[in-house]
Amino acid sequence: MIRSDSPILRIGVKVISPLALLVATYLFFAGHNQPGGGFSAGLVMGAVVVLRTVTGLQKSSQVTKLLAIGTIIAACVGVVPVFFGEPMLTQSIWETSLPLLGKVKFGSALIFDFGVTLVVVGMVTAAIEGLGGTQYMSFDGEDL
Amino acid sequence: MGRIVFVLAALPSLAASVWGSLQLVSDKPPAESSLVWVDGLSLSFTFQISPIASLMTVIISGIGVCVFIYSFGYFSKDSPGLGKFSATLLLFSTSMLGLVWSDSVWTLFVFWELTSITSFLLIGHKNMYAQARLSARRALLITASGGLCLLAGLLIISDNAGTSRLSEMSSTGSVSVAALLIMVAAATKSAQFPFHVWLPGAMAAPTPVSAYLHSATMVKAGVVIAALFSPIFIETEVWKYLGLFFGVISMLWGAIGALRQFDAKLILAWGTVSQLGLMFTLLSLGNAKATFAAIAIVVAHAVFKAALFMIVGEIDVRAGTRDIRELSGLAKSMPLAFLVAIVSAASMAGVPPLLGFAAKEAAIEAALGLSGLEAWLIGGSIVFGSALTVAYTLRFLLGVFTTKKAVDAISVKPASFGLSLPSAFLGLCSLVGFIFLPLVSGWVSSASVQINQKADVYQLYRWPGLTEAFLLSVAIVIVGSFLGWKLEQIIKSEAKPLGAELADSIISTVLNLAKKITGKVQHGSLPLYVTTMALTASLATIPFFFALDLTQIYWADNWAQIVLVMLILGSSFTVVTLRSRLGAAISLGFVGLCVTGLFVAHGAPDLALTQLLVETVIVVGFVIGLGKLAHGFPSVVAIWRGARLLVSAFVGVAVMVSLLSSASSPTGVPPIADLVEKSKTDGGGNNVVNVILTDIRVLDTLAEITVLVVVGIGILALAKSKQPRSVRERAINQESVS
Repeated sequence: MIRSDSPILRIGVKVISPLALLVATYLFFAGHNQPGGGFSAGLVMGAVVVLRTVTGLQKSSQVTKLLAIGTIIAACVGVVPVFFGEPMLTQSIWETSLPLLGKVKFGSALIFDFGVTLVVVGMVTAAIEGLGGTQYMSFDGEDL
Repeated sequence: MGRIVFVLAALPSLAASVWGSLQLVSDKPPAESSLVWVDGLSLSFTFQISPIASLMTVIISGIGVCVFIYSFGYFSKDSPGLGKFSATLLLFSTSMLGLVWSDSVWTLFVFWELTSITSFLLIGHKNMYAQARLSARRALLITASGGLCLLAGLLIISDNAGTSRLSEMSSTGSVSVAALLIMVAAATKSAQFPFHVWLPGAMAAPTPVSAYLHSATMVKAGVVIAALFSPIFIETEVWKYLGLFFGVISMLWGAIGALRQFDAKLILAWGTVSQLGLMFTLLSLGNAKATFAAIAIVVAHAVFKAALFMIVGEIDVRAGTRDIRELSGLAKSMPLAFLVAIVSAASMAGVPPLLGFAAKEAAIEAALGLSGLEAWLIGGSIVFGSALTVAYTLRFLLGVFTTKKAVDAISVKPASFGLSLPSAFLGLCSLVGFIFLPLVSGWVSSASVQINQKADVYQLYRWPGLTEAFLLSVAIVIVGSFLGWKLEQIIKSEAKPLGAELADSIISTVLNLAKKITGKVQHGSLPLYVTTMALTASLATIPFFFALDLTQIYWADNWAQIVLVMLILGSSFTVVTLRSRLGAAISLGFVGLCVTGLFVAHGAPDLALTQLLVETVIVVGFVIGLGKLAHGFPSVVAIWRGARLLVSAFVGVAVMVSLLSSASSPTGVPPIADLVEKSKTDGGGNNVVNVILTDIRVLDTLAEITVLVVVGIGILALAKSKQPRSVRERAINQESVS
C-alpha cells in the first residue's frame, strides 16, 4: 500500500500541481507549431489528478461531466460549419493583433483540442477511479 | 412546469400546420432544401415539400396540436414525467414531419427509425408496468426489423437507380427484391397482417399517444412509403400482389378482431388495422381511381380515428373503465362525447353527410371499377370489409354508450375543457370537411397526381346520385348494422391475443438462446479473454506474412536505435520471467521509456512526448492497482503458461511482420510532402502531427475520443457494478409493487 499520509509526498504533489498545470497549458497552446497539443496537455493534467488522488488531495471528481462536456465541445466544433454551408469539421482561423502579445492566430481547432483535453483527463480519471483510486479519496486531507 | 409544457409543445405543431396549409393552397413548385453531409457518399439531408408532404404535414401537425391540448386535459396535475412525455411526443411529431418531407432515401430512413424509437418510448411511458414494457419491446422489435428491411431495400434501389433522391427515381430502376423488402417494411410499420400483433399491444400507451401515433400518424408512415414508392414499383408484380395480400387480409382480419374485443380502445385499434389494410389494398391496385380513394381514406381516417380515440380516453379518465361490459348509461351522462362519437363513428362507417362517406364512396367506386378475378376477390373483399366496418362501429357505439339492463349506470367525473375540446373540434372537422368537400378533394387530387398522373380526373362528391356505388353503400350500411347488432348479442367471450403471444414467445426464445450462448462464450476468465482476443487479432495478420519483401528492409538508421532495441528485448524478457508484480511493472515501464527513446532517435518528438506521458500515467495506475494485489503472480499450470507464452510470442511476431510488410511494400509516393504543405495552408500550423490530428484527419480524432468516452464510461460502470446489492433489489421491489 502507498503511504498516502506521507507529508513529503503530499507537499511535493501540492507544490508541483500548479506547475504541472502551467506545463499543461503551455503544451496545449504550443501544440500547433511545436510538440504538444490537446492530447499531451490532457495527459499531464490527468497525471496531476492521479497524483492528487493517490495522496488523498483530490476530494471527488466529476468524471462523467468531463467526458460529456469534452465530447460535446468537440462534436459542436464539427457540426457548426455545416450550418454555414461548409463540410463538417472545417476549420476556421481568425487572426488579430492584441496588445502585448502581438499577432495572434486562433483556429477553431483549438476549441476542438480543448474538447480532446477534457476527454483525456476524464478518461484517465475514470481509469484511476475504476482501478480503485476512490479509496484514497475518502482520506480526510487536512490542509498543509 | 407541470401540464403547461403541453401548451408550449403545441406551438411548433401549430406553426407547422399553418405553414403546411399555406403550402397546400399555393401553386408554387415544391419547396426544396438540402444540407450536404458527406458529398462523396451522396449523404445529405434533403427535403422536398411535395403535395403528399404538405397534405401529411397538415394532418400530422393539425392532429398534433389537438393531441397536445388533449394531453393537457388527460393528465392530472401531478402526473410524473410530463416533461419527458411531451418532449418525446414532440420529437415524434418532428420525425414524422421529417419522414414525409424527405426526398433523400437516407434522410427518409433516419426519420423512419426515429419514429420507431419514439414510438417505443411512448408505448413504454408507464414503464413501471411489465405489460407496457413488453408491448413497447414487441413494437420496437417488429418495426425495427421492418426498418432493417427498408434499409436493405433502399440500398438496392438507390444503387440500381444511381441516385438517392426519391424525386429522381423512375420505374426503370425497379428491382423485385427491393420492392419486396420495402413493402414488408411498410407493412410492419402500418401493422399489416401478420405484423399487426404489435398494434393492439401499443394500446398500453397513454391515450394521447394512441390517438396520435397508433391511429392518425405513425401507422400512416407505412402507407406514405407505399405511396411514395408505388410510382417506382408500379410495374413490379411482387409489389402489387404482396401489397394486396397484406391489405386484404389485414382489412378483413382487423375487422373480425375488432368485433371480438371488449376493451373500447382495442376495438378501435383493431379497426385501425382494418382501415390501414383498406389503404394498402387500394394503393397496391395501382390504378388512378384506387390511388385517389386511398389518399381520401388517409385524410378521413386520420380525422375520425383521432377523435374516437380521444373519446375513449375521456371515458377512461371520467368513468374509470373502458370495458364495454362495464360501461352503461354514458349517452345520458356524457352527451357531448356521445354526439362527437356518433359523428366520428358515422364517418368511419361511411354514412353521409360526413368526410368518411365521400372517401368510402371513392373506394367503392374503385372496387366497382375492377374487372375479372380482381373484381370478385379484391372488390368483394373491400365491400365485405366495409360491411364489417359498419358492424364493429355499431358494436363500439352500442357497447360504450347504451344503458345496459344488467349493469348499473356508471357515475362519471365532470367534464374538462382540455379533454372535450380537441375531440369536438375533430368531430366537427369530419362535418366541415364534407361541407367544404371540393377543397379537400383538390388537396387529395394533387397528392394522388404525384403518385399517379391520371388521378387528376377524379374528385370527391357530396351527392353522387343514385349510382351503383351509392346503392352498394346503402346495402353495406344496412347489412353491416344488422351484423353488428346481431354479433353484439352473440359474442360474449374475449378473444385470445394469439399473434401477440406467438411474437412474444419467439422473442423470449431468442433471448434465452442468447443467454445460453453468452453463458458459454462469456466464461468470465480474464486471462482466457485476453488470450482469445490477442490470438484472433494476430490470426488476422496472416496475409501480411505473404506480402513481406525482405529486400526492402534494413536494420537501423543509427547506433542509438540498436542499443535501445537491445534494452527493450532485455527488459521484455525480465517482464516475462519475474515472479514479483512490482518488478514486472517497473520493467514494463522501462520498456515504455526505451520505446520513447526510439521515437526520439527516429526524430518524432510528438510521439515521444505522448508516449512518455502515457507511461507516467500508467506507472501511477500500476502503483494504485498493485496496492490491492498480492506481491507475486499466482502460479499457473505449466501447460497453460506454455500456451500463454506461445500466444504472446505469436502476437509479437504478427505485429512485427505486419509492420514490416506494410513498410516494405509502399504504394505510391509517401503523402508526407503533401501533408506538410497542407498543414501550413489549410491548418495554419507548423506541427504537422498536430494539424493532422486536429484538422486534416479530424474526423478520426473525433471518433477516437468517442471511443475514449465509451471506454471511460465502461470502466466507471464496471467499477460501480460492485456496489451493494440493496440498490438493485430496491429497484426490483418497486417494480413488483406497482
